[in-house]
Amino acid sequence: MNAPLTALSSSANAILLVGHPNVGKSVLFHRLTGAYVNVSNYPGTTVEVTRASARFDREVTLLDTPGVLSLPSRSDDERATMRALLNENTRCLVQVGDAKNLRRTLTLTALLAELGVPMVLALNMHDEAAARGVIVDIPALAEELGIPVMATVATGGEGIGELTNSLGHAQPPQALLRYDAEIEKAIGQAAAAINRIAPHPQLAARGLAILFLGGDTEVTGWLAEKAGADFAELVALRQKTEQAGKGKLATQLARERTEAADALATSAIRRAARSSPLLSQRIGQYVVDPLWGVPILLGMLFLVYEFVGVFGATTLVGLLEKDLFEGILNPAFSHFVTAAVNVPWVTELLVGKYGLWTMGMTYALALILPIVSTFFFAFGVLEDSGYLPRLTVIANRLFALIGLNGRAVLPMVLGLGCVTMATLTTRILHSPRERMITIFLLALAIPCSAQLGVVLGMLGGVSFTAVLIWALAMLMILMLAGFLAAKLIPGRRIPLVTELPPMRLPILGNVFKKTGGRLKWYLIEVIPLFLLGTFIMFALDKTGALPFIIRAGEPLVSGWLGLPKEASAAFVMGFLRRDFGATGLFAMADTLSPIQAVVGMITITLFIPCFASLMMMVKEQGIKVALAMVAVIVPFAFLIGGLFNIVLHAIWS
Amino acid sequence: MNAKNHKPHAARLPLAFIPPGQQVRLAEFGDEIDPLQREQLIAYGLAESRLLRVLQQRPMTVILADEVELALEHAVARYIWVEKDTGGA
Repeated sequence: MNAPLTALSSSANAILLVGHPNVGKSVLFHRLTGAYVNVSNYPGTTVEVTRASARFDREVTLLDTPGVLSLPSRSDDERATMRALLNENTRCLVQVGDAKNLRRTLTLTALLAELGVPMVLALNMHDEAAARGVIVDIPALAEELGIPVMATVATGGEGIGELTNSLGHAQPPQALLRYDAEIEKAIGQAAAAINRIAPHPQLAARGLAILFLGGDTEVTGWLAEKAGADFAELVALRQKTEQAGKGKLATQLARERTEAADALATSAIRRAARSSPLLSQRIGQYVVDPLWGVPILLGMLFLVYEFVGVFGATTLVGLLEKDLFEGILNPAFSHFVTAAVNVPWVTELLVGKYGLWTMGMTYALALILPIVSTFFFAFGVLEDSGYLPRLTVIANRLFALIGLNGRAVLPMVLGLGCVTMATLTTRILHSPRERMITIFLLALAIPCSAQLGVVLGMLGGVSFTAVLIWALAMLMILMLAGFLAAKLIPGRRIPLVTELPPMRLPILGNVFKKTGGRLKWYLIEVIPLFLLGTFIMFALDKTGALPFIIRAGEPLVSGWLGLPKEASAAFVMGFLRRDFGATGLFAMADTLSPIQAVVGMITITLFIPCFASLMMMVKEQGIKVALAMVAVIVPFAFLIGGLFNIVLHAIWS
Repeated sequence: MNAKNHKPHAARLPLAFIPPGQQVRLAEFGDEIDPLQREQLIAYGLAESRLLRVLQQRPMTVILADEVELALEHAVARYIWVEKDTGGA
């Protein structure tokens, strides 16, 4: 780490990590900055640009960009990367590539090379390539490209020092190809026009011309803004080139880059003979096998249920709530407050029925935290193993029924962790229609881990049948609502094409880090909201509004849903966070019959998830769409809850 | 197109028809494939005359291209035309 960037005489201070999805950019980012971003073994974990100071030079900012399947950008996450390329004060690019798939890596290099920015290529997952008999001639590749090329294994820290040192030697790469003569002519004309009417301070006009002709919307927008009225000249040129070409221009450009990458990769790869598929490949195939796939899925779900629903929600909650909080902490804290504070309403605010400690903190720390911790841990293991992308294959047929493809299962499963996070992750979906349907379904029928834990804890205590009824109800509502949404929202379904990354043994340190990061976020987001919610409940109780709400809600809550009238309070809490509301029902568990418990949980699960996720819906879909979704979801939750009350009384008593 | 010139007598079959375990050579993408999806396939490294090994066909077509496993819905694999590889790789 000997002052590696001194050779770069530029005021630019940003280093951008760019590359395909799931090649290890975020792990490398963590290695180079110490900052932790969520890392998983599936594409699309990073959907926004993350920045942090570099360890080797605090003046330098490193940016972790979302993975790009290809450029020109087509999806929201690719557009985020393109915006970073256009707007950052870039010192150099670090392209992170998958060593075992050099062809694809070089296809992206072929485009990045045209941008004229100094660059370094990190061929990551070098160990996996070697295990598959793929050996890359690194010096030859570096010579052909004219830039430093490093073999790295980011997860194990291999090659990181060399990569850091090589940044000082970053160079604009040599071009990998000349396009077809007609296209070259158009590129030359477009580049000349860009240089004249909209020059970029750092990116080469030729690279921008290729992206513009390929239909990149971000580059088009940037050029339109910069060129003003002169932009029409560029548009006319693109139209003329499109019309003169034999096929779609973007496809032609991409095909020629692939050919060039193919030629260079063939010369740089030596392939050792390999006798049989690796064990990880065999396991990966069993997981999506038509015969074994579903039993493996059910087995996996059972293990998650045992770990989260039984160990987390029963054993750990029992230890924390009954033994620690109710047995030791709450009596001690109540005694201390009563003795120290001689003001009755303050005592009640802290340790009363709706006390900040006895309700807010007890709910957050004793009931929810153990459940969320076990869920995040189990989820982290699944993420790291590479199982989740295979789930898209298994779920594809089911999702086809609701106008989506299996890719939508990723935000849905993530939603079981956190709906807010999952709403953002819908950016990996390829069409606005898919995103809208998925966001609606997330808000309606996907319980987040906190709520899932409460549901499993409560209904698990009733019977397995109760859990099963709730789960089947959610699945049925998800499918029905999805089916209707797919019919109502115009557009067509996009067939699934997806990469299946290798199955890997999860790295325990990574799983713990990830669980820790998510728990930190949970504590920061949830505790203030739980305390605020408790305070609102306290205020409503003291002002006499709560008894009024309970009376006003009685026809709906008792008459229609068949719940005790006090459950109205839980629904009031549910408006802030539905897991807070669910916890309110959990606290009443002793007074509820099995049917009441199931109906209560179905209704509260269908509620809007939480205030944070509502804000995310507004951010991603706009206020009109978000409010329309809420206007559908809240009455729908009560309607379905009431219908289940009637049906369950008829068939299950 | 290159593949056609290279092996003028080879029949072209949909990728979705190839039994698991066989190795084939990609001949061309059918026009039925959406242009954006075609770009996506190219970005995944599927190019004409590329060798592909079919790993399974159900519930989806799963292929190995270089060292990358890709899963393709039959609606796409049905219109990817391939030729049987006769060992010229």
